[in-house]
Amino acid sequence: MIKVETLNFSYTDGTQALFDINCEFPSEHIFAVMGDSGSGKTTLLNCIARFLMPQTGKITIDDQDTSGMAEIDLRNKVGVVFQRLHLFPHLNILQNMMLAPTLVQNRPVKELRKEASEMLERLGIPELAESYPSQVSGGQAQRAAIARGLMLKPSYMLLDEPTSALDARTSEEFALWLKELREDTSFIAVTHDLLFARAAARHGMYMEQGKIASQGVIEDVTAAHC
Amino acid sequence: MKPENYVIRLCLLLMFLFMASVSPSGAGENAENGKPLKTALTGKFPPFSFYDNKGELAGFDVDMSREIAKRIGRKSEIIATEWDGILAGLLAGKYDAIVGSMAITPERQQQVNFTAPYYYSGAQLFVHRDNPKRLYSIDDCAKARIAVVLGETYQHFLETNYPEVEVVTLKSGAEIFEMLSQKRIDGFVTDKLVGSWQIQKAGRDFVAVGDLLYKESIAIPVRKDNPELLEAINDALAGIESDGTLKKIHDKYFSLSSGRKTGNSGELSNSIIAEKLLAGFGITLIIAVASIALGFILSIPCGVILTYPKAMASLPYMVVRTIVDFLRGTPVLIQLLFVWMGMGLTPFKAAILTLGINSMAYMSEVIRAGLMSVDPGQALAAQALGLTKLQRFRHVIWPQAFRIAIPPLMNSVVALIKDTALVAVISIPEVIREAQSIISITFEPGKYYMVVAVMFFVVTFPLMKMAGLLEKRIKQKGFAHD
Repeated sequence: MIKVETLNFSYTDGTQALFDINCEFPSEHIFAVMGDSGSGKTTLLNCIARFLMPQTGKITIDDQDTSGMAEIDLRNKVGVVFQRLHLFPHLNILQNMMLAPTLVQNRPVKELRKEASEMLERLGIPELAESYPSQVSGGQAQRAAIARGLMLKPSYMLLDEPTSALDARTSEEFALWLKELREDTSFIAVTHDLLFARAAARHGMYMEQGKIASQGVIEDVTAAHC
Repeated sequence: MKPENYVIRLCLLLMFLFMASVSPSGAGENAENGKPLKTALTGKFPPFSFYDNKGELAGFDVDMSREIAKRIGRKSEIIATEWDGILAGLLAGKYDAIVGSMAITPERQQQVNFTAPYYYSGAQLFVHRDNPKRLYSIDDCAKARIAVVLGETYQHFLETNYPEVEVVTLKSGAEIFEMLSQKRIDGFVTDKLVGSWQIQKAGRDFVAVGDLLYKESIAIPVRKDNPELLEAINDALAGIESDGTLKKIHDKYFSLSSGRKTGNSGELSNSIIAEKLLAGFGITLIIAVASIALGFILSIPCGVILTYPKAMASLPYMVVRTIVDFLRGTPVLIQLLFVWMGMGLTPFKAAILTLGINSMAYMSEVIRAGLMSVDPGQALAAQALGLTKLQRFRHVIWPQAFRIAIPPLMNSVVALIKDTALVAVISIPEVIREAQSIISITFEPGKYYMVVAVMFFVVTFPLMKMAGLLEKRIKQKGFAHD
């Protein structure tokens, strides 16, 4: 479980983005963090991933305070898929997936290659293995980025606006695909796309102006904002 | 066309009359008898020493060396070496004497003993045979345009002693000949013997006028600890002079009848020319490759440092920025001359260091631009996957930045290959210097400069084409965020 306690964050220009956030992200399959742009949801994600340092408050992952965690432990525990994905353009999808486990976990390439191929198979995109990021569609790239993150077997994976580059149909397909995944990873999806949230998640929360407006079962939370 | 009546009037003088009767064989009977007589020359001073059309040493000095050795009863061994270190080599005992057209000067006399002179030469004024300005000696040359080769002592001599003469400095003898043929200059001053020989060789209508501006006594230096050899050579010279051998050797290289026909005075066969140009181009490429390697390796850390303008106040940024700006803002030629003469490096080291450091400056900027054009999100994504800073650079940022940088790097490489042309000025025998030396014998500048240009183009053209193709491919692959 990821637990956030009395979190306050201000950018260097003085704008406060998060106000006394208290929340818990259960270790369940998919949790949605919703809200309009500027509501602070991506800032919250960046604080959890420790790309931003909050001024006050505490974040714990499975009862470990993230501020004291070694970089490598944190990264092995929490994966991030960015809004713009940032697949490495000079590597094919298989190489994208193998890079971090090779370097970070020092695992043998042969074993990794097998594992990555199996994962692509499981995710239903085996044909992408040899493709370069510039050669795949937006929906495929989204899945490939998630596959890359899953290779490190993180307990949690933060998805930042996963559907922003997808049209309505692909975004729904993606939601179903995510829901069907049988991995031991909990996804926290930050999104302004309520349709996607409803299609994918069971629980979620809604943020407004740096505060949590509501949280609970996804239908209840989204109902108030549709 | 030919300057028929202007057969070179050499200033060969009888110097050894009082020795003429001494038998040279007497001196040969010493402890060194049996060992070859090692003599040095440059092999680059036609018609005194040069490589003939079989690639073998020939020339006035070569024949003199052999004749002297014969007369003192030893075998002749001739060593071709650079003029720069020729005296040092003598002092170090690498050879016994220098039969290489060396003039006696007080500075040299402090280091070595000179034999009696074996010929005289000196600065001579030459004019076009038409001589429209009626110049018959240097004293007639007020306001006349008189050329000298840049860097030769004649320039200083004229400016000091004949300030009313308008001195025109040109790059080479070949250039002077073209200018005088077109009558864009009124005359030129150079060594009497060499100048006469070149005129004859090139078949130009130029003539020597007036007396020598000054005279030089050409003699053979020997180490001071070797008075026996000095005496032996002096004896030999006296004999060579008195029995007419000196005149025979002289006529072989300087008389009009033999000069252009026998091919002895430095005609070059096409295969020798090709060999020289290819060897020169090999040196050009070695210098280019070494400089590119040095420049590229240095440009990576410099390029990285240049991507931190935030560190404006930090020392590494300021140091690298200043060096790069300075190198890009000053002529490479000056840098080259500074490193060569100012820092006293050997020409080869100076060339590689200067060109390498200079290309480092340009490549650093290219690499900086490459690094800056990689989406910062790439580093963030790599961080999210747990890569260390070094791993992010090595496996994510650098491979992309390098691919982006390849086309402009290729341009730097092409520019550097062309810049190697400059190192000819610091006496490296690369292709342009070889071409110049060939032209100094053949007097065909158009032909050989074109050949050299084509040699460069054969190497640079594929590189330029490749840069274009890679640029296209990189754009397709979606590197660089905009």
